[in-house]
This record gives sequence, C-alpha cells and structure tokens, in this order.
Amino acid sequence: MKNEKTILTCTKFDKHFGATHAVNNVSFSLNRGDIFGLVGENGAGKSTLIKMIGGECIPDSGKMIYKNSEAKWKKSSDALNNKISIVHQEPLLISSLNGADNIFLNKEHTKGVIIDEEETLKKAKLLLQKYPIYPDLILDKNVDELMLDEKFIVEILKALSYEPDILILDEPTASLPKKSSERLLNLLEELSKKEKKTFIYISHKLEEAIKVCNKIMVLRNGENVGILEKEDIEENKLIKMMINQDYEHFYPKKSENIGNTILQVKNLNTEALKNINIEIKAGEIVGLYGLMGAGMNEIALSIFGINNDLKEGTISLHGKKMHKVEVSSMIKKGVFLIPPDKHKYGLFDTFTVAGNITIAHLYEIFPQFLISKSKENKIAEKQAAKFNIKYGNIGQLVEELSGGNQQKIILARWLFKECEVLILVDPTVGIDIGAKREIYNLLRDLTKKNKGILMVSSEINEIVGISDKIYTMRRGRITAELEKEQITQENILKNIL
Amino acid sequence: MNDNKKNSLIELFKNRELLFGFALLVIFFSVMSDSFFSTSNITNILLTTSIGGVLSLGLTLVMITGDFDLSFASAIGLINIFILVLLNQGFSLWLVFLFAIVAGIVWAGINGILVVKLGMHAFVATIATWTVCKGIIYWISGGATYYGDYPKSLSIIGRGTIGIIPISSIIFLIITIMIILLANYSKFGRRMYAVGNNSEAAEYVGINSKKTRMIAFLLEGSLIGFAAIILASKLCSGPASGGDGFQMNVIASAFLGATVFRPGLVNIGGSILGIFLLSVIENGLIMLNVHFYFKYIIQGLIIIAAVAFISLRSKKKNEGPPVI
Repeated sequence: MKNEKTILTCTKFDKHFGATHAVNNVSFSLNRGDIFGLVGENGAGKSTLIKMIGGECIPDSGKMIYKNSEAKWKKSSDALNNKISIVHQEPLLISSLNGADNIFLNKEHTKGVIIDEEETLKKAKLLLQKYPIYPDLILDKNVDELMLDEKFIVEILKALSYEPDILILDEPTASLPKKSSERLLNLLEELSKKEKKTFIYISHKLEEAIKVCNKIMVLRNGENVGILEKEDIEENKLIKMMINQDYEHFYPKKSENIGNTILQVKNLNTEALKNINIEIKAGEIVGLYGLMGAGMNEIALSIFGINNDLKEGTISLHGKKMHKVEVSSMIKKGVFLIPPDKHKYGLFDTFTVAGNITIAHLYEIFPQFLISKSKENKIAEKQAAKFNIKYGNIGQLVEELSGGNQQKIILARWLFKECEVLILVDPTVGIDIGAKREIYNLLRDLTKKNKGILMVSSEINEIVGISDKIYTMRRGRITAELEKEQITQENILKNIL
Repeated sequence: MNDNKKNSLIELFKNRELLFGFALLVIFFSVMSDSFFSTSNITNILLTTSIGGVLSLGLTLVMITGDFDLSFASAIGLINIFILVLLNQGFSLWLVFLFAIVAGIVWAGINGILVVKLGMHAFVATIATWTVCKGIIYWISGGATYYGDYPKSLSIIGRGTIGIIPISSIIFLIITIMIILLANYSKFGRRMYAVGNNSEAAEYVGINSKKTRMIAFLLEGSLIGFAAIILASKLCSGPASGGDGFQMNVIASAFLGATVFRPGLVNIGGSILGIFLLSVIENGLIMLNVHFYFKYIIQGLIIIAAVAFISLRSKKKNEGPPVI
C-alpha cells in the first residue's frame, strides 16, 4: 500500500566530475503530491542531482525506483517519456520560433507533413488557460522578442505540456516578476493537492521554499545534510545547515587599511545600466550583488572595455580620466578582468598550460619578436608554482586540469604583471571549496599590497564574506552602498528585490 | 630495454603517419615508373609544388584564425593576366611584381571585409567572390589565353634552376621559413591561434580578434600575389583557366595537413607536407598513365578521409599532443 504513495526513491546517488565530487551518496524519497524543496549553496550539487533524475546526466552509482520499478535513464527523453520534466533556470528555447511552436517542439500538431500553426496556437492558448501563470503572454510572438520572464513562462508551459507526474523547477522565480511568482507558487500548491502532481523545487529564496514546500532537503558539498519536514522547517535552521559551521572563519579577515580611490566610475549609462557611480579604493574588495540580469556583469565589462555601448559616463584611474576605455588600453593601465565562465571567455583549450598562462602578457614576457618555448615553459612553471596550480606537465593540454586549477591558471595569467585593479566575475563558480579558499586568500593578499578589487558574485554568502564594501543592484541601478556592519544578508536582500 | 625501443619507435611514428605515407608513396612511384625519379621530373614536381605551396601557406594562415577562402584560385588566375597585361604595357618587371602583390592584398582585403567586417560566412562569401573573379577573367580575356610582349627575364623565376633546384622552389622555401616563424614562433602567430581557438576569450585578453583575422587575410593576399608572380613567370601567358588546377590540391593540402604534427588543427608544417604529397600523387598518376579523372576522385577521397580523421580525433580529444 505504501508504494501507492511513493513515486520516486533515490538511493545512494553518486556523481563525480573529474576531481569534483558533485553528488555524494544522496538518498531521499518522494510521495505523490509532494512539493520537495532543494536548497544549498551554488555548487552544492542541486543541479547535478536534478539532472540525474531528469536523465540529463548519468549517476556514477546509485539506484532510482520510479513508480515501483527501477529506472535507468540514458537520456533526457527517457525521463520525459516517463513523465518527468525539467524547467531549467535558463530557458532553452529556439529563438527563431514563436512561443507556441516552442511549447510543442518535437510533438508538433501537423496537417500531413506541414505544421498546423493554427492548431498549435490554439492548443498553446488552452494550455495557458489551464495554467494561468501569466495570462497576458503572447504566444505567437517570436521568442527572441520576449522578455526573460516571458521566455521562462514559455519554458514552464513547455514542461507542463508533457503533463508530467514529476515536474522539476530550477530556480523558477529568479527571473519572474512578483505577481507571476505568486501565481506560479499557487499553481504548484493547487496541482499538488488536486492532481497529486509531484514537484522538485530548487530555490535560493528560502522564504518561498518555506512557504510552498512540504519537505526540504539541504545539500552541502554534494552531501545530503538533512531533510526537514513541514513542521520542522525554519529559516535559521536551513541556513545553518547550508553553510559550514565554521563559516565565520572560511573567509579571510577583512581589510583594516583602506587607502585612496584607485578607480572611479562616474555617471555611467549604457543600454542596461542607469547612472552608475562606483569607487574602488586601495586595499579594498568591492562586491557587486543583485539578481541575475540586474547589471553587475555589465558594469564589470564596461569598466574593462568589453561593452562598447558606453553611452555616457567617465572612468578615471588615480584621478585621471581615461579617454579610451578598451581592453588593450585597460590592460596596459593595470586593470585586469577574470571573466565569467572560464570555458567560454577564458581558456584556450588547444593551448598547453604554459600557453594559457602567458597569453595575456605575451608582449611583456617576450619583448623580442619570437617566442622561445623553453623560456616560456620555465616562466610558466614558476608562475604556476606561485599559484599552487597542480598539473602533470607544463606542456599538457589545459582541459585536462580540474576546474579549480583552470581558474587559478586564469588568475596566474593575469597576475604575471602587477595590477592596479582586479575585476572578477563569478570567479569561484564550479570549483571546490579548497580552491575557493585559496582564491579568497589570494585576493586578500592583493589588497594588502594596496590593490583594488571589484568582485561580482552570484553567491550571497561569498559576497558577504569577502567584501569590504558592497553595492547592491536592481534593474540596472545601484540601490545601496553597504559597508562594515551594514553588510548582512538581510540588508542585501532588502535592496535587491 | 626492448620496451623502451618499442615506445620510442611508436613516439617516432605518432602524429607523423603522413610523413611515412609520403615516403612510401615516393618509393612506390619510383619502383613503378622509370621516369618518376628522374631529375627532370623532380624539378617538375618541385616547380608545380611551389605555386600550390605558396597558396597553401596563405590558406593555412586564414584557416588558423578560423576563416576560410575558396577564391584564391581565380584570384591567382586574374592577377596572372594582370601581370602580363601590365608587362605588355611596358611597365618594368619589378614594378609589375609589386603591383601583383598589392593586387593580391586588395583581393584578400575584399574577402576580409565581407567575412570579418560584415560577418558573412567565409565559405559563402568567398564562393561568391570566386565566381565574380571568374566572370571578370572571362570578361577581360573573352575566354582566350592572353598573349603579350614580355621581357625575357620574366621566365627566370618560373623556369630557371640552380643545379636541379628550381628558383621558384628557393622562393617557396624562403617564404615557408618566414611563415613558419610567424605562425609557430611569433607573438602574432600565437595570437592568431588564440583567435582561431576561442575568439571571445581572445578579446578578453586584449587581442583584437577582427583585426587579427583581417591581417591573416591580408597576409594570404600577399602570398596569392607571390604565387601569381611564379605562375606568370612559369606560363608567360594568361590562360582564362590559370588558377583552376590549384584549387582542390591547395584546399586538400590544408585538411590533410591537419592530420599530422598537430592532429585536429590546421598547421603550416602539415600543409606543406600535404601539398607535396598531393603533387607527388598527381605527378605519379600521370607517370603511370592513369586516366586524368582518377586525379579528381583521389583528391576528393583524400579530403573526405582527412576530414573524417580530424573529426574522429576531436571526438576523443586528449589524444593528440598539445598545440602551443
């Protein structure tokens, strides 16, 4: 009888990515009608876990019992066919198709071989009526003309069109306006009660999770550190479980010596940014925090000269106005940027470890026309040792290294030369705790040498832990400047939502 | 001990399969045909290879930065006619050579503007310019070979030899050394590879990707100019089909070259080996009196085999040696 109630049981799920133990021996079980919350820091293993349930990633070991029989998904369509669907944090839509076509992609309504646009649109509208999260959504508009939140609704409708028994939502309310978030949460509650549908719900917004979930599992470093039942769920308890006990000591001590302004941004305006004023002082780590898409990355990239849509505003270094804000001149002036997504914007995967380390300052390292490979290897080895980078051979391909070591290579690449200001965008995403600490300590060492640091991070704990000053952002504007004891999660959240 | 020997033997062969294939081919043709290994035939092979080789160097540069060019074959034909027309007008030889190189650079600049500045797909853009160029050739020549007056000294580069070594081969050798230094050992070459590998990451380390790609095109253009000079000097006439014979060989050489030395990636050394191998095959087949159409079949099959090798290789990465 009990099995009638249980829909999914996962036992001892385990998954490694190279050196990273992403999911470590995680077990749990879901009843029909559960709204199962999944919380934890970035990199705690939430996404990997749901990907394994959704067949997008195969566990190294572990057993999954779904509807009373063992399930071994090999690809996501296996899970989809068995009525498990995932709504990803970033919409995976075909931008050249309209909303309705996207919803029914791969299960098109056709007349013979031709897609029946009318029928598709009608069916999509019915779906929207049935699940009225965002009733004004225009379904026959091309997806690339939709706003981010509208795209997300399309993604949710697409998942719901499979009539799943288990629907997995990865941070569904992160990019939704308040009203839609409420509607979505109400809908989840309604569907779980009336239709006994089961939801797995990942969120960083603990309040929401506490409100809507009847069970919450906390993950930390890939491990299940506890499952709380409805009556035991408390925000403080969750936070304590999410972060390490010795959380206070995880980050290096904050700066005591803050000097003069090194870099100043005045009245910066771009497509995405409104009237930005920022100051970075010697010896200071400045944090930028806001919800995804609030403009932190744009500020970082604008200062570095990657964004060329700078409409107005000035950037000055040591009180001197910069006339040309472009990457090569910023590098010459000692402003370096550690980019978001090291694979996309950082690494050259056909280059060796040495080649990746020397690429940013080639002209300083080799003043002569030709590159001496033996000299290059020697220099790179020395630099790699300084940053405690672990590799087999300086001439091996960079992609064979772990994420943490790859990230340290990018730091080593830049810090060949002394910087004035180091800008970092999500430098610790996807790397393990040990490498994270090393990077934090390294940043502190730089501030002790009177360098200025601007850090964008999507982890609130990290931004609170590392920053001497924080600018909070909302929709392209800076909403507050927090210093010292003003730096609390509460204060930050108040200013970004 | 034995194991060590075996390993070093494997190391010797690793990524150099093509080199040994080349040696085997030379031996095969020498045995099968009496005239293959004769002095005059070797000179002939070297001569043909120097034109294709210079073109192949240019194409390889463009491919290193991630672009492509199909139009070089008609460009060299057009510049060849241009050289002979100017000589007929009485311009001095050196001035005409200079014009030829400038013409090559202008031509590649047009491709560069279409591909780099306007963001057109390199394949499509250069198929279009190739076609336009062919049209211009037929328009000027009316389909006939252009003959004109030219100074006798024109033919020295294309037909002269020092001992059995053609002068054109010496020019090819010098250009090759310069391009190898540029691509494999200079900072600019490193930046070219960076742009070809990950143009966005290149921007983040202060490399101007578009400028780098444009320069690669312009360098290719100057090499097209050099190749046209050698061609004009060899033919001393301007056939409408002047550059046609080079197209497939040169493209195939770049792909074939990507299977050797730095597997999975276009590289200068590989392209040079590739063009020699293809010239030897082409010449050997003629020596063995094989029907001419086999040449095309073999060229096509070589491109398929090379590209298949590269894509299989990149599927199971980590196999090849690092590039830079």
